[in-house]
Amino acid sequence: MNKSLDPRVNRLDLPQGELTPKVPLDQFGTFEVFVQLKEGKGYRHEGSVHAPNIDMAFLFAKEQFSRRLMCAGIFVAETRNVFVTGFTEDKDSIYNHISDDFPEDGEIENYEVFHLNKRGKQHEHIGSVPSKNHQHALAQAKGEFIDGPPVFNIWVIKTADILFTEEEDMIMWNTLHEKKFRDASDYKAADKIKAFKERQQ
Amino acid sequence: MNTLAVKELLYKMADDQLILGHRNSEWTGFGPLLEEDIAFSSMAQDKVGQSQALYQLLHELGEAEPDTVAFTRNADQFHNSQLVELPNGEYDFSLIRHFLFDTAEALRFEMLTQSSFEPLAKLAKKIQGELRYHTMHANIWIKQLGSATEESIGRLQKSLDEAMPYALGLFENSEFESDLISSGVFAGEEELKSKWLEQVEKIIDQTQLTLPDVLTLTPKTGGRAGIHTEHLQPLLDEMSEVFRIDPTAEW
Repeated sequence: MNKSLDPRVNRLDLPQGELTPKVPLDQFGTFEVFVQLKEGKGYRHEGSVHAPNIDMAFLFAKEQFSRRLMCAGIFVAETRNVFVTGFTEDKDSIYNHISDDFPEDGEIENYEVFHLNKRGKQHEHIGSVPSKNHQHALAQAKGEFIDGPPVFNIWVIKTADILFTEEEDMIMWNTLHEKKFRDASDYKAADKIKAFKERQQ
Repeated sequence: MNTLAVKELLYKMADDQLILGHRNSEWTGFGPLLEEDIAFSSMAQDKVGQSQALYQLLHELGEAEPDTVAFTRNADQFHNSQLVELPNGEYDFSLIRHFLFDTAEALRFEMLTQSSFEPLAKLAKKIQGELRYHTMHANIWIKQLGSATEESIGRLQKSLDEAMPYALGLFENSEFESDLISSGVFAGEEELKSKWLEQVEKIIDQTQLTLPDVLTLTPKTGGRAGIHTEHLQPLLDEMSEVFRIDPTAEW
């Protein structure tokens, strides 16, 4: 096959005719990060990190999502282990569209359930249910939450697929409240510029 | 309590943290991946913050202001180990140094939570959480790359062999060693070194790396007495550039 005039295309190392397996992208998988702002408060989805494994995802998540403000705990789960429903809006709760049926396969273990209570906001942890599989967990959550305020989207994660902060590691955030210097607002840049301009006049 | 002995202890700890904090901050913007760049930079910032807290304790014992102490001394007035002043090299060396140093640092502060010098015991307790993350970070990286590919194992091994004699220099005995031990300020470099070796071995044993036999190595000492490699002065010149131009500058 002809070489491309664009060196970036040549660097892609495209297959040369024979049938070959597609090469995976040279990048890490993603992990979803959940943060607890204060002890006793619920965990909330904050974003995702790239990492080669779940331990490193935890390391990265700690500095990515809790280097400012407040944090009491973090947990991470591989993105592919997060099971996601469809979306609804307005007064229509997604629970109205969830089937009561579920497959019977699987042993009973815990699953964590997350609600999206406002479009555009983060998913929040609402509790765990012992279930046989993700669909079962969803069906059980339905019984409990269908009559509550509308929920627009639900995530279900098997508890065993989550890496939680160890009890003894919770001290990692002890000095966080003293690190105001990590916040742009702490430098009061606008005030300094204003004062500077006033001095110029 | 022998104040000179306490000051000597505080100076070497603070200088280690300031210099390594500055070295590690040189990775900011150049880390191997975005997430790691931020994590490593945050830890560098923690180290500088910890050194400031120690300089503050020194100030309370009659030494100059933390900024003056940090920015106006020359290399021969610094008491850091030579390990922390070495250039970053590639990421393998920086990680190995981070692992060897932070393991010792976390154990040192753990011992100091029992110090009879109360302000130091209080500080040691306060920063335990930060150090917990630093050692967790180091251990996970070393375990990951120490058992990954031929290249990663080879690079880490080479850096470990290079860094080890310098790491042993961290435990250079002070002339006040027996004072510090008998007054209960600090249980001493020898005790720290044996705890450190045990912990370093525990992590290295979970990888395909081999720990050099420390009995055959000559520790690179001298740093505590102000004897440094040629790498320290250029670092100090760069670190104190703004302060030397305008000591009243705020940023």
